[in-house]
Amino acid sequence: MDVTANNIANSNTEGYSRETAVLQPTAPIEIPALSALTGEGARLGTGVTIETISRIRNAYLDSQYRTQNSALSSASTQAEELAQAQSAFNEPSSAGLATQLSAFWSAWTSLSDAPTSEAAKEGVVAAGNQLASTLNQLSGQLQAISKQATEQYEARAGAGGEVESDAKQIAQLNGQIRLAEESGQQPNEMLDRRDLLLDKLSGLAQVTVAKQADGTDTVTFGGAAKPLVEGTTVNWPQALSTASGGQLGALLTLTSPTGAFASYQEALNTVASALATSVNALHTSTPFFSGKTAATIAVAVTPAQVQTSSTGTPGGNDVALAIAALRGGAADQSYSALVERVGSDVKSARDEQTNLQTTLTAINSQRQSVSGVSLDEEMTNMIAFQRGYQASARTLTAMDDMLETLIEHTGKVGL
Amino acid sequence: MYGRITPEMVSASTLNDINAALSSLDRSSAELSSGKKILEPSDDPYGASRVIDLNSQIEGLNSYGGAVQDGIAWTQAASGAMSNIGEVVQRVRELLVEASNGTFNEGDLHNIGVEVTQLTEAVKQAANTQYAGQYVFSGTLTTTAPYKAGAEDAFQGNTEGIARSIGPNATVEVSSKLSEVLGSGTGAADGKLLDTLRTIAQHLGEATPESRAALNTTDLKNLDNNMESLIQLEATNGSTTDQLKTAATRIETLENALTKALSNTQDANIAQVSIAYSSEQAAYSAALRAGANIIQESLLNFLHE
Repeated sequence: MDVTANNIANSNTEGYSRETAVLQPTAPIEIPALSALTGEGARLGTGVTIETISRIRNAYLDSQYRTQNSALSSASTQAEELAQAQSAFNEPSSAGLATQLSAFWSAWTSLSDAPTSEAAKEGVVAAGNQLASTLNQLSGQLQAISKQATEQYEARAGAGGEVESDAKQIAQLNGQIRLAEESGQQPNEMLDRRDLLLDKLSGLAQVTVAKQADGTDTVTFGGAAKPLVEGTTVNWPQALSTASGGQLGALLTLTSPTGAFASYQEALNTVASALATSVNALHTSTPFFSGKTAATIAVAVTPAQVQTSSTGTPGGNDVALAIAALRGGAADQSYSALVERVGSDVKSARDEQTNLQTTLTAINSQRQSVSGVSLDEEMTNMIAFQRGYQASARTLTAMDDMLETLIEHTGKVGL
Repeated sequence: MYGRITPEMVSASTLNDINAALSSLDRSSAELSSGKKILEPSDDPYGASRVIDLNSQIEGLNSYGGAVQDGIAWTQAASGAMSNIGEVVQRVRELLVEASNGTFNEGDLHNIGVEVTQLTEAVKQAANTQYAGQYVFSGTLTTTAPYKAGAEDAFQGNTEGIARSIGPNATVEVSSKLSEVLGSGTGAADGKLLDTLRTIAQHLGEATPESRAALNTTDLKNLDNNMESLIQLEATNGSTTDQLKTAATRIETLENALTKALSNTQDANIAQVSIAYSSEQAAYSAALRAGANIIQESLLNFLHE
């Protein structure tokens, strides 16, 4: 009844594994006197004792859960971070870079219609400025997102971060569990807490657990050189790699020099340099754009310096026409390819996240199926134990009756 | 199937289902309220880049459309000026024919000569026609009038052409080289219209037998030649106008087609989404109701003392 009560009380406790009392008959009393009847004597039962209260848990499911949890956490971190980059692009919308590019080319077409118009020249410079500043902003936003990801990694993996504090708790539990087992106790609650911490760690990076004979767990974390926890020792901070899995591995992958953020930045630089190079090649009097990266590109001319013709005549518009004809060229193409790439990166990360979520839910259900507390079951057990108790009580009443008969109603000597 | 089912499993899966139903409901409602099915690139990466391309193409067509209309207005301004000049030339020819039949005296001829000089001025004025502040016949020197008023007849512009874009990498030259018909006057002695007109005025003023004879022969012939090339230039200008008008029609058709393609790519099918929305709404409330009912039940409810 006590175990059942404990199970019911913990039915909603995270990481709690249901317990059962393993019952065993106590050693019988041998009665050699009855050996004539059976040839080998008789044994009289002496009742029941609780051998141990064991935790019902499947270690294989635990390790599967942790593997999938690492993968899921990696995918959802990627999906989240990439979605941030995607929203920085703000496409398709009327405020995105594509619209600015388009407006820039249109400004040149307008100028080609009225090459002598000061307003048209100002229009070209204004559109150019807006385009350049959108590129600058986008580049800055990508940098900020990448920087935040690095900071997030530092906060979790750095000294005093989540990894270290969890590892310290595991090491402490390792010590307590060893002590308890040495003194022959079954430290179920501590085992549950340690498993819960390991589940949590598996979200940060891949976790491998080696069970030691003394009851301690040796934890390898994210492929780091030394085990994170060994007995009661914690080895942290250590370097992780892009292959570490989990949230930390994903953050490292995204921010690595070959990662998504760097490649978006590079692709944005390609857009900026294609724009600057192609326009400057036609705008021969003085470069229209200065700077060839997304972060540095800027308009370098005043409206009066805008060149419309190669011969310098006021009404000539060959340069304006040629620049307007750059619409749909290298800059536009590389930008729309970049948007497509960001979109499909986010989509595939999200699809992966959804798939892994389904798998993880299935594994968790299996785990719950094994370790979870079923109230119905506990109720049934409770009734069984209650009835057993009532039956035992009834046995006692019967014996009491018999004894009463024996004592009270057998022949009264001397009366 | 799992061997044991615990309440936590039921509540977890119910919660999952409710979340899934809510998130598809959210998606449909976003599509309905925005009218778009591509809200961010990850919804359809290829579609998103296509939307960007199509938007840019449509914006491009808009600007080409503007350039074409501008070009049409330009050629029409030029055409107006040229037909003015044609009328003047016609008038000079009539005067010339009248003057050369020998019935006029010296004073009459002198008066006609003054009128021809005035008409020459009218030709130069017509050649100085402006469109949107730009001289139409100055080549690319559009801020300079092609001809100065008065006796000086030299052409002040250049012979460079001005083009308008009518499509990606397609341009049409809208400027007419009127200076090749008008020429630079007697100073250049190029036999072009201004030279001819000045010569006619001179011959009328002189009124000598030789000049009278010239009026009827060389002058008339030169004038007819000049008229011929003016008509040719006008025809070329007219065909440019036609070409631009065709381009405008083509751009409009293309714009319609692209707008339709854009709509197919990015716009949500409202009817479809509405139906999906209401069925998702039903699924969501069913999931909620089921959750509320199932989770309440347990053996506990049926145990009575």
